[in-house]
Amino acid sequence: MITIIDLEKYYATEEVRTIALNKLSFKVREGEFVAIMGPSGCGKSTLLNILGLLDDPDGGSFIFNDIEVAGFNERKRAELRKHNIGFVFQSFNLIDELTVFENVELPLIYTGVKAAERKERVDAVLEKMGIMHRRKHFPQQLSGGQQQRVAVARAVVNNPKLILADEPTGNLDSSNGNEVMDLLTELNEAGTTIIMVTHSEHDAKYSHRIIRMLDGQKVTENILADYKSSVAP
Amino acid sequence: MPDLTGFHPDSYRDCEVYQSKIKKRAIMFRNHIKIAFRSLKNQPFFTLINTFGLAIGMAGSLLIGLYIYDELSYDKMFADAGRIYRIDMDIKFGGAEIKSAETAPPMAAALQRDFAEVENTVRFRILGSNLFRSSDKSANIKELSTTYVDATFFDMFGLELIDGNKETALKEANTLVMTRTAAENHFGSINVVGKSLLLNNEDTYVVTGVMEDLPKNSFLKDYSIFMAMAGNVASRENIWGSNNYFTFVKVLPATRMDHFQLQLDGLLEKYILPWAQKTFPGMTAASFAASGNYIRYHTIPLTNIHLHSDNQIEMGEKGTIQNVYILSFIGFFLIFLACVNFMNLSTAHSLKRAKEVGIRKTLGSNRIQLIVQFLTESSLISFASMILAVIVAFIALPFFNDLAGRTISIPFTEPLFYVAILLFTMVLGLFSGSYPAFVISRFIPVETLKGNGFKNGSKWNIRSMLVVFQFGIAVFLIVGTLVIFQQLQFIQNKDLGYSKEQVLVISDSYAAGQQVNAFKHEVLSLSAVKSATLSSFMPIASARSNSSFFREDAMDQKFAIQMQTWDVDHDYMKTFGMELIAGRGFNNQSVADSTATIINESTLTTLGLSAQEALGKRITEDVELGKPVFYRIIGVIKDFHYESLREDIGALGLFLNKSTGSMAVKLQTDDFASAISSIENIWNEQAPGQPFNYRFMDDAFDTSYNEERRLGNIFIVFTSLSIFIACLGLFGLAAFNAQKRTKEIGVRKVLGASVSQITFGLTTDFLKLVAIATAIALPLGWFVMNIWLQDFSYRIQISWEILAFAAFLVILIAILTVSYQSIKAAIANPVKSLKTE
Ligand SMILES: Nc1ncnc2c1ncn2[C@@H]1O[C@H](COP(=O)(O)OP(=O)(O)OP(=O)(O)O)[C@@H](O)[C@H]1O
Ligand SMILES: [Mg+2]
Repeated sequence: MITIIDLEKYYATEEVRTIALNKLSFKVREGEFVAIMGPSGCGKSTLLNILGLLDDPDGGSFIFNDIEVAGFNERKRAELRKHNIGFVFQSFNLIDELTVFENVELPLIYTGVKAAERKERVDAVLEKMGIMHRRKHFPQQLSGGQQQRVAVARAVVNNPKLILADEPTGNLDSSNGNEVMDLLTELNEAGTTIIMVTHSEHDAKYSHRIIRMLDGQKVTENILADYKSSVAP
Repeated sequence: MPDLTGFHPDSYRDCEVYQSKIKKRAIMFRNHIKIAFRSLKNQPFFTLINTFGLAIGMAGSLLIGLYIYDELSYDKMFADAGRIYRIDMDIKFGGAEIKSAETAPPMAAALQRDFAEVENTVRFRILGSNLFRSSDKSANIKELSTTYVDATFFDMFGLELIDGNKETALKEANTLVMTRTAAENHFGSINVVGKSLLLNNEDTYVVTGVMEDLPKNSFLKDYSIFMAMAGNVASRENIWGSNNYFTFVKVLPATRMDHFQLQLDGLLEKYILPWAQKTFPGMTAASFAASGNYIRYHTIPLTNIHLHSDNQIEMGEKGTIQNVYILSFIGFFLIFLACVNFMNLSTAHSLKRAKEVGIRKTLGSNRIQLIVQFLTESSLISFASMILAVIVAFIALPFFNDLAGRTISIPFTEPLFYVAILLFTMVLGLFSGSYPAFVISRFIPVETLKGNGFKNGSKWNIRSMLVVFQFGIAVFLIVGTLVIFQQLQFIQNKDLGYSKEQVLVISDSYAAGQQVNAFKHEVLSLSAVKSATLSSFMPIASARSNSSFFREDAMDQKFAIQMQTWDVDHDYMKTFGMELIAGRGFNNQSVADSTATIINESTLTTLGLSAQEALGKRITEDVELGKPVFYRIIGVIKDFHYESLREDIGALGLFLNKSTGSMAVKLQTDDFASAISSIENIWNEQAPGQPFNYRFMDDAFDTSYNEERRLGNIFIVFTSLSIFIACLGLFGLAAFNAQKRTKEIGVRKVLGASVSQITFGLTTDFLKLVAIATAIALPLGWFVMNIWLQDFSYRIQISWEILAFAAFLVILIAILTVSYQSIKAAIANPVKSLKTE
């Protein structure tokens, strides 16, 4: 599903030029659950932004579903993104002015789904995430774990093939964190590809494979579980 | 021993405590100012927009304030102004009601004689423009405003002479008093008492006094030459039927004006009826009233004349209280708009400071201290704005004076000015700071520390309402401006019933004396000239009087017609392209035509005749001498507008008589300059030494709407200012809004929103408010401007296009203002905006 080859990303500030990604290469197959780990500042978030088509690499190749997407302009990336990718962030990134329902509904609005169908699908997802009774609440009125569940609901409501999660449990206590990890596992079992950045070895164990990074490069890879692709390799 | 100092040890200690309290306060105060300065410096964008907006608003209202102050100060400078009244009159004698500031010549004497409360009276008989030649000069100089006046003039208004004796000046016929400027114009000096002047090449006048120029804000401001009433024979006649004298009375202190009025009402019985019975034997008060006619005298205080008189003709330039109200309204809202900006931006900005406030509160700062802190900030901005505003107003004043047709100055030497301005600034600072201070100090620490100043949900907060209010005013002012200009346009393009294009009016053609006919003849021979006519009556608003006429077959006061009588020559109608609808024009060969008249359509209505019926009928003027002269109606002319379009067209009769006041020349060339110079050459041959003054009819027409045009210009300027201020506020608000929603916009983009969707969303949030404002303000503007239009007998309908255009304009402006910030926010990279979290 994803192939990156010699991916590069630089940040040029006034004096220093930071190499955030340094000729990074790996593959992620459809249906896989991959965890990315590494010390702070090694380029994990940068990588996730590129994989999520939020940012453009400075060099190398990024093939998403057999299409070379490196060098795509903002509009094309947005088009590809809204139909294929869901995001879960450490800080939830819910919109404070919108209710739970409205937050989850947003991606459907942007992909042009009709109002009646939107309601059906949002309700279904909220039900599945166990936050149906909170649908009229505003984010500020929810606990961190509940907020992250809303964020996950919002990430999956469009049935994306890929979910990118940047430290999804970073702001949660362990029991809330475990709940979110269970949710992600469920989604993965239902066929969604997941790439997750995490600092927690505990969370990483939920995945099939851990990619460890240092200074923008891949250092090791541990295969944790037998992964059988639903699609022929 | 008694303690003479009044101090005990204790009270001494009290004093110390008190002093240390003051010291503490002073330190606190300094601290507040220091923090205020720092926090303003930390938010340059916000501070700039606030100061700038407030300064513009203040400067605008300062100018308007000075203008209104000037309007209200009219005629108040005269000594005893509070005891001076003018006798005005509403008269209906056949035809329409006339409101007149002029009354009959014997009125003043009757008041002096019969009214115990009257201390003094004075009459003016306006002469208009006249030519004067000093003994030292060979050429005439024109004075635009001259008048006969009674010798009581100086006592009445407390005026002094620079030169001459005010007790004797103006006592004798053929004496005059002139202003300093006039003296300098004619003699090049002000020591001119005893010198003589030739009036209109005929009569010699002796200068008996020189006075200072009259105050700019008085009804006398234009007058430069005052001639002794003794020289005006008609002023001594006991005729109550002709009303040409502006009559002022000074009453004794503590006079009851309701009493005075009762006595005025008695004049009808005492003087007017006996006089009228000479013409209409058997006329009684009852029969006069029964015929639907009336004469009502009333008084108007001198100081009310400028703004409150609704007479057709006044001695000075008329202002209207309506314009004062309109401008007060604009001035008030200008300043209010600026305050609203301040409140809006401050509260919006407070979101950024919510955390600061939360921390301060947790650290123990109390609410009062916070409020004082915010009020200190707003006061600082207010003071800075005021300084800027005075500078801006000072620079803009000449332009404003030009626009408003005034000579206002900023009273820098007036201590009261500074007091007023400081007070105003303080009130403004506290007022505009109060709402933000209140809102911010109310923040609850726990919530603000969570990073959210306001509760979720409610979109309809006070800030939205203020934006609605601001744009409502802008829409209202735009509608006002459009209506005023469309009405002016309408007046300009209205078919007046005669042609004012390419008509040159040469004023004071009488100065050519016997040669005036030769002058006309020569001018007619020019190829550039199509036609020319001599007459003192031009179809343009001016001071003219009515006379009463009667049909031969109905010589009853019931059928009196109030009618203007214009003396014209046989080329008059041709020159102005006026149309006959029945009968014929004048023939200068026919002797009979000297007792013929051509009436207008309005006269037909008052006569109750059709055009055909009227032909051949005879009418006569109200003469008391028994042997009336009858004029045969030989033609009926299509109505033409000879007064302002504010008035209906009144009855009018043209008479074939020599009247050489001006000559109108219809040109048939586009080369006006050479036509004018040819005419001037002829003039200099025929009337050597006489000034050649001319103007174009359409220009003259336009100047009679100066007051409206001024109002229109003032509207444009202040409408633009208020829109500018509102936009400044909207711009600032949009900026803060975009900033506040950075994270949200980032999230939306990550979820797939496009740049245009985001821009649209951000912009429509504001547009909704502007749309609500428009929906409220349009009907209001329509309503108020319709009232304004009522003043015109001939007026436009406020079309939906005007309203649509106003709405379109304000929405367009709002879009342009907001979209910059919206687009800027929409194209920002979401990766960055989410990172700042
Ligand atoms: N916008 C930027 N401008 C300049 N440098 C940046 C920018 N974004 C990231 N970097 C730098 O790129 C490097 C990689 O950053 P990145 O955010 O990907 O690290 P990370 O692995 O996600 O760290 P953490 O675990 O702390 O989230 C860091 O050295 C960071 O300082
Ligand atoms: Mg990171």
